[in-house]
Amino acid sequence: MHSVRHPVFAIGRAVTAGLVGAIALVPAFVLAGALVIADESRDAGAQDLEAQALQIETQLLCPQCTNKRLDVCELAICDDMRKLIRERLAAGDAPGDIILFFSNRYGDRVLADLPKSGFNLVLFGWVGGSIALVALVGVFSLLRMRRSAQPVASGFEEGADQWLDEQIDAPEDRPPDRPSRGAR
Amino acid sequence: MNVLATLGAASLLTALATAVFAAGASVYGLRAGNVGLLRAGRRAVVVVALFTTLATVVLATALLRDDFSLAYVASVSSTDMLPHMKWAALYSSQTGSMLFWTWTMSLFLAAFTVLTLPRMPWGAAHATAASGVVLTVFLVALVFISSPFEASEFARPDGVGLNPLLVDKGMLVHPPALLTGLTSTAVPFVLSAAALLSGRIDGAWLRAVRHWALLSWLVLSAGNILGGWWAYTVLGWGGYWGWDPVENSALLPLLPLTAFLHSSMVQERRGMLKSWNFALIFATFALAVFGTFNVRSGLVASVHSFAQSMVGPYFLVVLAATLAGSVALLAWRSPRMKAEHDFDSLVSRETVLFLNNYVLTAIALIVLGGTLFPVFSELLRDARITVGPPFYNDIVGPLLIVLVALVGVGTSLPWRQAATETVVRRARMPLLVTAAATLALWLAGVRDGFAVAAVAASLFTAYVTLREFALGARGARRARAAQAREGAIGGSFAWLAAFGGLFDRDRRRYGGYLVHLGLVVMAVAVAGSNIYQTHVRVTVPPGGSFELGRYRVDYEGLERRAGTSNGIADETVARLQVRQGDSTVADLTPGRRNFLNFPGQPMAIVAVDTGWREDVYIFVQGWDDQGVAEFQAFINPLLLWLWVGAVVYTAGGLIAFAPVRAPARAPRELPAAPARQV
Repeated sequence: MHSVRHPVFAIGRAVTAGLVGAIALVPAFVLAGALVIADESRDAGAQDLEAQALQIETQLLCPQCTNKRLDVCELAICDDMRKLIRERLAAGDAPGDIILFFSNRYGDRVLADLPKSGFNLVLFGWVGGSIALVALVGVFSLLRMRRSAQPVASGFEEGADQWLDEQIDAPEDRPPDRPSRGAR
Repeated sequence: MNVLATLGAASLLTALATAVFAAGASVYGLRAGNVGLLRAGRRAVVVVALFTTLATVVLATALLRDDFSLAYVASVSSTDMLPHMKWAALYSSQTGSMLFWTWTMSLFLAAFTVLTLPRMPWGAAHATAASGVVLTVFLVALVFISSPFEASEFARPDGVGLNPLLVDKGMLVHPPALLTGLTSTAVPFVLSAAALLSGRIDGAWLRAVRHWALLSWLVLSAGNILGGWWAYTVLGWGGYWGWDPVENSALLPLLPLTAFLHSSMVQERRGMLKSWNFALIFATFALAVFGTFNVRSGLVASVHSFAQSMVGPYFLVVLAATLAGSVALLAWRSPRMKAEHDFDSLVSRETVLFLNNYVLTAIALIVLGGTLFPVFSELLRDARITVGPPFYNDIVGPLLIVLVALVGVGTSLPWRQAATETVVRRARMPLLVTAAATLALWLAGVRDGFAVAAVAASLFTAYVTLREFALGARGARRARAAQAREGAIGGSFAWLAAFGGLFDRDRRRYGGYLVHLGLVVMAVAVAGSNIYQTHVRVTVPPGGSFELGRYRVDYEGLERRAGTSNGIADETVARLQVRQGDSTVADLTPGRRNFLNFPGQPMAIVAVDTGWREDVYIFVQGWDDQGVAEFQAFINPLLLWLWVGAVVYTAGGLIAFAPVRAPARAPRELPAAPARQV
């Protein structure tokens, strides 16, 4: 027997869903505001030479520290490198040439972005292999499970989580043994 | 003869002998059926903790008393260091941190021996033996390879002092949390080894190991978060995570441990993934050992520094033995680890937990590869390269977004199986809200694909998780109202009380949801602060100013202060005023600190003005005689939310870990799937 849904429950559900949605939306708009402002301010200074030099610095690492970016390293050698970047930019060198210059002088260890060539391809092979292995094992396991899986009957409600669907969708006066909408 | 050095060394030697006895007595007692020996072995684990505590107290005393006749004390402490920094010096360098590591590990194993072993009707002797072996391994390193109680070869009347990088109050919390988190993984490891050795591969193991694994995860997470906070506020490079090999070593054990906490639920409910769960615990401990090996051996700096001490080769052998032993144990017991059930449907929560495990495993393998690759490059080609942040950001970043999305999908799906209409009903609103919010972001001008994807995944998961709280609280209120109507109880049940009541009802579940919420907030903050960071470098004379985004920063001049303690010779700070329009937002004083015994190593003093929308982050690169200073200034959007998320994440972990007031229910075995309805 079907129980009659009172419109007030539908309103209640809509209000709850709306509230939860609103709460979830708050960070989106906070983020939007902050990011748009940040984006504008970033673009504003992106044209000058100093910004270009800074951009190159972020692509280089200190030759003496471990994983420390050139733009924030305080060692004297990094000071010299930063000065050289500005001199070369002022002389008309392209950013790519400047990065290549430092790579030739100190080796690949000063490149923040690992070149995807030569021996380094081993690492990218490892990454690809890891993802492929994990994906293969996953697909194999899931297919094996699927073979033994039972088809789900329409309207089946799993006991442990039934309360969630009841809360999402059902009015208060629904009898506990009432079949879900899908079975009707 | 130095009394403290002798007492410390004797304590460690006694602890080693006791650890060997614990292992030997347990093995022999088990074989001979000698209960007295088994009891003695168990007590010996506690005695080891007492002696390592004594050794730690001795070293702390030597540090506090400026006993520079000890080489370690002379190298990390100085007379003008404040007592709390002298305590921090205890774990600031290799041998001291090894002692701290062994001490905290022995405390964990002693607590496990006292609290858990008496309640274990299975494998207690095996667990005691495993504890003894683990303790022996670390004590051998402390006694024979790298002791903090060795005498100084030459006199240093005032001591060298702490490395300038470490002179910060963050030293009091970050390293202890991280080291404790790493050492605590010994307990799940010992429990798992005992379960396999004794052949008791059932729910009892899972119930015993879960709580300890959760504790490890909690402390290790806190250690990593505090590490990020420390890097941000002290190291002065504008960020909180640089994918440094040391950071990676701390993160790595957390990945399989997180995977275990999720896949253990599948074993608990469905009797599946048994061998996988054991493998995850073994991997966690092996990666904790790897972290010790990687950092303590000097491998991080260079392959060439690896062979300078025996610590590196020793821990390499320990690591190899741990891996070999784990694989052998798993292979030996694999016939007993058949799944009790199979998946009923691919559309189920356990499938998503499975996928979550795959993603975490892939991330762990990639981070491990990236961390070790420079070592292999140097070994095979004699060419040192750096695997920098772009590599990890480009590869691990998308996987982390997938992980966040999976958290939401998993939360929205029921266990075992779900009919299509159930899936649609549960996913409808979250997807609509996510789509609307993503569109709103796009229209508002956020066009970076990574940022949009991160926010969309976070929103979906946030909605699903918040809905669980909202509906749970609503259900509790309704139940309460029904009881009140029947006269069973009086009074109403406020929303807040209903919300709080959820944590009493199921701490693991709702604590876990809180962790997910914290993760989501952190994910948004990471995306925002990384992708939309503003960075300027300017050279400004006193009285001048520079633009930083929508702010103007006025530079008044330099101010020099004399150092007072902790080896600080002097500090020079720049007085800055951050203004927006006509109003002053903040007064900041970034600067540099010079140290008496480290003249070539000045440390940056970072100045941060934290706001709900963004941080203004400034440090001084240098200055000339006229006071013309070079500044590096950043705007880091949403950074505060990283720490807010971290607090929520940790609070959720604490709630999940907190003991329940009511007697624990027996683990629920779900009924078999009902017959197909026609």
